[in-house]
Formats: sequence, C-alpha cells, structure tokens
Amino acid sequence: MIEELKLPELGEGIDSVEISEIRVKAGDTVNVDDVVLVVETEKATMEIPATSAGTVKDIKVKVGDAVGPGGVLMTVEAAGDSASKSESSQEEQSPAKSASSDETADETSADEKPASEEASSKKPQPKPERPAVPQPEKGEPTPELEPRKSTGNAPPLASPAIRKFARELGADLERVSGTGPKNRILKSDVEAYIKQQVTRAQSGAGGGVGIPQAPEIDFSQWGEIETIGLNKIRRLTGQNMQQSWQVAPHVTQFEEADITALEAFRKSEKAAAEARGTKLTILPFIMKAVVAALKAFPDANASLDPSGESLIRKKYYHLGIAVDTEQGLMVPVVRDVDKKSIMELAEELADLSERTRERKVTPAELKGASFTISSLGGIGGTYFTPIVNTPEVAILGVSRAAMKPIWRDGEFVPRLILPFSLSYDHRVIDGAAGARFTKFVSDMLSDIRRLLL
Amino acid sequence: MSKNIKAEIAVLGAGPGGYAAAFRAADLGKQVVLVDKDASLGGVCLNRGCIPSKALLHVARVLEESQEVADFGITFGKPKLDVDKIREWKNGIVSRLTRGIGQMAKARKVQVVQGVGKFTSSTEMAVETDDGTVKIEFENAIIASGSRPATIPSFPVDDKRLLNSTGALDLADVPKRLLVIGAGYIGLEMGTVYQALGSKVSVVEFMENLLPGADADLVRPLAKRLKARFENIWLKTKVSKIEPQKNGLKVHFEGEKKVEPQVFDKVLVAVGRKPNSENLGLENTHVNVTDRGFIEVNEYQRTADEHILAIGDVAGDPMLAHKATYEAKVAAEVIAGLPAKFDARAIPAVIFTDPEIAWAGLTETEAKAKDIPYEKSQFPWAASGRALALGREDGFTKMLFDPETHRVLGIGIVGPNAGDLISEGALAIEMGADAEDIGLTIHPHPTLSETVMNAAEVFTGTVTDIYVPKKKK
Repeated sequence: MIEELKLPELGEGIDSVEISEIRVKAGDTVNVDDVVLVVETEKATMEIPATSAGTVKDIKVKVGDAVGPGGVLMTVEAAGDSASKSESSQEEQSPAKSASSDETADETSADEKPASEEASSKKPQPKPERPAVPQPEKGEPTPELEPRKSTGNAPPLASPAIRKFARELGADLERVSGTGPKNRILKSDVEAYIKQQVTRAQSGAGGGVGIPQAPEIDFSQWGEIETIGLNKIRRLTGQNMQQSWQVAPHVTQFEEADITALEAFRKSEKAAAEARGTKLTILPFIMKAVVAALKAFPDANASLDPSGESLIRKKYYHLGIAVDTEQGLMVPVVRDVDKKSIMELAEELADLSERTRERKVTPAELKGASFTISSLGGIGGTYFTPIVNTPEVAILGVSRAAMKPIWRDGEFVPRLILPFSLSYDHRVIDGAAGARFTKFVSDMLSDIRRLLL
Repeated sequence: MSKNIKAEIAVLGAGPGGYAAAFRAADLGKQVVLVDKDASLGGVCLNRGCIPSKALLHVARVLEESQEVADFGITFGKPKLDVDKIREWKNGIVSRLTRGIGQMAKARKVQVVQGVGKFTSSTEMAVETDDGTVKIEFENAIIASGSRPATIPSFPVDDKRLLNSTGALDLADVPKRLLVIGAGYIGLEMGTVYQALGSKVSVVEFMENLLPGADADLVRPLAKRLKARFENIWLKTKVSKIEPQKNGLKVHFEGEKKVEPQVFDKVLVAVGRKPNSENLGLENTHVNVTDRGFIEVNEYQRTADEHILAIGDVAGDPMLAHKATYEAKVAAEVIAGLPAKFDARAIPAVIFTDPEIAWAGLTETEAKAKDIPYEKSQFPWAASGRALALGREDGFTKMLFDPETHRVLGIGIVGPNAGDLISEGALAIEMGADAEDIGLTIHPHPTLSETVMNAAEVFTGTVTDIYVPKKKK
C-alpha cells in the first residue's frame, strides 16, 4: 500500500512554505518520525517527519518549490507490502465481463426504459466501500497551492471563457491559484487575484511604485564578480524594509541615558542571575523602560489602519527583539513584557535568541510584536537610525554605552552613558511626542526606581 | 458604384474566414467592406470545397449502403445514376448557402465589392471590378485570401482530363478509370466519391502511407476498406510523366515497385494546397511572407504591418475552415480593441472518407516527434452495440492522456461519424478535462459517443464493456 506524505497544517496564516532540503531519495527506507524534508516559512525552518514507515517511492517536490498545507510531498510504500506496485486505481477494478450477446440484449432493454426512471433507479445506490487506494491527484481537492510546477508543462486548468476573462483583466493565469475541483481556476479566482493585486499596488507593498527600476549593469566589465542568490530571509527583509521606508515617513530622535546606577545594580545582581542559570544583560531593563514609555505614550504601541482613517492601539506589550543570525536579520517576539520580571525576561531572551540563531523558532514566535528593539550595543557605534518594523510605528535603536565626562555640580564626573535612538512613523507620532518618549525612556533608565512609580 | 470607398475595415476574401471576420467586425460596430473575386460568396469551402464534397460524399455513402444492406437481407436493384441531377442537387446546396451569406452581409450593412483586390499601400487597396477600379481606403485590413490547389508544373496544363479538386467537384462526368495523385484527404474523399459513382479508381502516393501525417493506426481501417474498393493503391510511388493521348492520359510511374505506364480517362491532382499570397500587392505593405508563401502573423493575427491582419489558409497551417473562422473572430475583435487572442488548444481535423477519420489535440505522431510523454487508451468499436447495429465494427476511439495530470491531450477516432464525435474530445481538451471527468459523464446508450467515455474508462480502469487485463507497472 502506498501512503502519501502531505504537508501538515503548520499554523495559522501559513499558506505556503518553500522546500529547503530533501533528506531522502526514492528507494530509501524510512521509519515513522524520521525527518525526510525541511521546509522554510517566512522566517523559520521546520522539519517534516515521515508519517508512515516504508520505502520512499516518489518524491513529488524539489528544493525551491512552494507547497501549501495538504500538498503531496512524497509517496511511501508501506513496509512489507511490495506485492502491490500499482499507483493508479486501475488494479482495484474487478475484472469486467467482455461484451457478449446477452449483454447487448440487456442494454437494449435498458435503453427503452424512460430516462428519468433509469436515472432515479441508479441514484440511491450506496457507494461501494472503497479500498484504501492511493489516488494521486484524485483524492480530496487539495486546498490552495498544489505546486503547479509538479504538473509538468500542463497549462493552467481553466476553460476558454475563463482564459478570455483573464485576458480582459490582464491576469496571468500561471499566477492565479484555482479553488475549483482539482485546482481548476474559476472566475472568482481570477477576480480574487486581481483584487489582491490592486490592494497590493495601493498599499505600495508591490515595491518601487513610481520608482524607475534600477538598470541592469554588467559589473564584470570592471573586474571579477560573484553572484550569490539571496535566501528567503534576506529577500523578505529587503521587501519589508523597502516597504516600510517607502510607506512610513521616518523621523529619528537621538537621546542618551545615564546608566551608571543601573549598571552597578545589574552587576550586583549578576551572581544571583548566574545562580538561576541565566545571564543578566541590560536589555531586560531597557525592555521594561520601553514598556513604561509605551504605557505613557499609547500611540507608540499602535498601528495605522490600512485605510489611514484610524489608529489601532494595542493593549498588549509584545516586544520584537532584532537578532542577527547567519541567515540574516530575524525578529522573535517576547510576549507580555509588562507582566514578566526582569529575571524572567532575561531567561526568555537567552532562550529565544539561541533558538533563533539555530533557526528553531516557530513562525508564531516571529509574529505579533507591537514595538521593536534593535540593539547594536554589543558591536559598537554611537547612534544609528533603524527602520520602523511596519505595521508597528516605532523602533528603539540601542547603541554601545561608554564612560563619558559629565559636567555636574561644577565638575566633570565619569558617568556611564547609553546612546539610543527612536525611529518613528511621522504619520502617527509627532516630533514633540517622539522627544518626550525618548526623554521618558532616558529618565527611566537613569533611575530605574522610577519604573516602580 | 462609387470609385472611392472609405472603410474602417477592409476584408479581402469572403470564405469562412473572411465573411466571419467581416460579420463579427460589423457586429462590433465597425464599418466593413468585404472584397471577393467571386460573385458567389463563401470562398473555396462553400463553392469548391467542404460543402460540395460533403454533398457528393453523402451520395457515395447512400450508394454504398444500398449495396451493403444485402448482408442484412435487403437487396436493391442496381442504382441508376443521373449525373446531371446529382450535380444540380449539389449546386443547389451551394447556392443556397452562398446566397445566405449575401443576405447576411446586407443585413449587417457590410458592403460587398466583387473584384480582384490588391494592396497599393498599408492603408489602401485597389479592386479591379467589372466597372473599373475601386479604391478602398481603410484603417485596417484583414487578409483572408485562402489557398488554391497546388499544381505540378511538368504536367500538361490545358488538358481538361487533368483535374484538380475544383474540376473533380464540378462532376462533368464519371470517368471509367480515374487516377488520383496524392493520398491526402482531398484525394481520398474524391476517390471515394468517384468510386461509388462507378469509376475504377487508382491512387498514387509518394509517401509510404495513405494520409501522410495522420496516425498510422487511425488510417489502417480506412486503408483496408479502400484496398477492397479501389483498383490500385500505389505507395512510395510518384508520377513521372503524363502524356495526353486520344484515348486518355498515359501516366508513367516511378517508385519502389515497378508500375507499368497506363492510360486513365482522367487524372485528379490532389497534392496539397498553396496559400494565396502572391498578386496581393503585399510588396506595397510591410507584411512578411514565409518561404512557403504563408503570411506571418502573431497570436493576435497581426502581420508585420500594423494596419493589416491575416487569417485562415493564407496565415498558416492547418488549412481548415474552422480554424479560419476562429482566427476571423480574433482578428475582428483585436481591431475592435477587445482582448482577443489565438488561444485554442486543439484544432480538430476530419477526413470525410468512409470510415471517417478525425483527431484533435496531440497525435501520437506529434508526441513521438516532439518527445511529449503521454499514456494512451483505446476502445474498439467491435465492443459498441451501436457500431455493430450499423454494421460497422472496424472503428475505434483512442485517447492520449497526460501521465501526471490525466488530462486529455489528444483524441483520435476512426469510424462512421468520427467527425461529429471528435467535438467532445476538443471540448475536453479546451476545458482541461481529465479521464475521470469524461468517464463520469453519463453518455447516452446506445450511441457511438459512448466510445469516448469507454476509452476514458479504459484509462481509469473503470470500463465494464470490455475486459482489460490489469496494468503491470
């Protein structure tokens, strides 16, 4: 018996993944839960285990294919079942009688029955029990994106009238996913595609609206070059950053905080943290200060409604933390920062950033932030102007703290100064509000006792 | 008649392509002038092709059947033929149809100009009429000038006993011995007609099969039947010389097997058709013509000249009326600014011999030549009650499927009425139907159309009207 391995549901909102690795080949023996494939979602990778033991028959996808939930990945012939090698339903049919003279007679009399009677007499017959026959492409219609690539060069499944309709609207049927039986493209699919395109164009996510495309330049004319394909993370980061940059008018406010006292306190608690098995950095303190600021300035913990008519304030405080990984920038989210202690945050941060670097975070852990912090303090630099992680409206950029001479009470005193910046979407936050926000964060960090107030 | 006409669209040629283009354009609100050299509209198809040949083939069929029913226990006397009456009947059908086109043109306010049209520029055409030259200034032109029988230059030119398809359809008389040069569909259809009317028919073909290009298995039942009825079928043979003599045309052959020179009363040359792209004044336009004489067009039927479109036989193979009509509508709609395009996935082809042969979409010949993967299934008509009731069990229906998607790629049918049955296959291909779709569609019993369903069921393994051993994979 041949089992199909289908892509399972991977979570809400995931309608397509990219195949990034295939670990088996046809003929390999697999056991249940052996990892056979690795797929990549927007920002996470996931291992897909075999659901049945046996021999891999046919791998239906290749690296780079886009597959939706329910899409067939490969077929596995169950162990100890080598007798049946049929892949189609052909073998399951019971042998038919050949055309004989008395059969012809039967048919002639059947033919004389009124058509309606014949039809009704046939209808109520119960469906015969079906043996578990593998039926590639014949089972339930697979939802959404059965990768069309796997069907060779078959043209899009659409009737002549739908092809004409698509021409009228200028829709490329190769890009339209069909929702009809066997993924047939229906009129409503073409309409939905066009609607999606229009929405995308209006929101500017299409990228480069009204901006002339960069000319193709042959750089090799000036010296040796190497072309490296961008991975999915990098491509998505590029798209998101460009979209944010084009859509949100950015302003960046610089500020600094005197963290001499904070640093002393942090050092004093270091041992206690280590005793708990975690490392206490300054980031949890910054997160707490940011949450206090977001509570004081709720417009910074908000998103602009796509229509531009209203502001959606969020009553939750989920902070995205930018993490530098080998594959590129990723932003896992720490949820309910307001409800967690500094130590809890420290522990969660350590776990989350480690799993992010190993690309073991789930897609859900990469979604839902209401504000983002990007810290380059570990590397250096004084100030930078981060790009807002839209649809959030502001982002905090933290740089490296340094001892500075500060003029105080008629003399210079050495103080540990943390430079930071806030980039915000000027459609939502005005300059004065931005400055108040950074001042608030600075005050909190300069004396963390204020966090209790 | 006014000597200068302004037209939004000038259509050159009033065959099934030209008149359809003119009428569709008129229905879209365009002001159209339709030019044809014949007073009788309808082109080759109506006047000298599809329609008169089908009339004569029906005569042949009736004659043939009147003899075949002897096997069923019915005997008729020897039929008496009144060739003049047959001709008259055939011409009546033609004139009824061509008159209909004239009336439809009038109803649509399409101006018809009878004369030989020639382009003088990309926007102007001069038509030589009986009343002098008419100039037509147009915004767009659609060339639908069709094709004509190909000739062999070395054959005697002015001998009335040397016929082309037009002459054969005129049915001047029934020759005792007729040689058909070329075993394409025209040669075999006309050979069938004359054989039924009483001629001893011989066919000579240069290629190794009848109907070169068609799948060999589809041709086999026809070849068997013709072999029993024709005097000779010489394959891999060509005519080297034709000598006019008093008692007929003496024909010399060259080929694999030696064929003695012999005398025929008439010789029909049916060696294909040539596009009518010469003498159209295309040199005064930007239209490109290929080496084979076809006007180059894109999928919008546009030529290299922005004002001029081309459709039908002159715009490329296959030279079939129904292809021309489809292209006509594309051209008219493109000019009217509609998003039309040549988007057909199958052009059915039918040979109206007895048995008929028809196919649509991918043929096995093409699949093998282009290395296109397919799976084939076939249903023999010997298992069809209806075919047996007709006394005809020599046919079969075969279908080609995409091995992955199981969609219908092509269909081929040989047997009576194959030409009518093929449309279901064409629709299946256009709709992207797969084997299951066809197998699960209830077909009426007992009909020949069931064989299409049965062929699909052979593929899905659900057929019960024949026994198909299990597939070994």
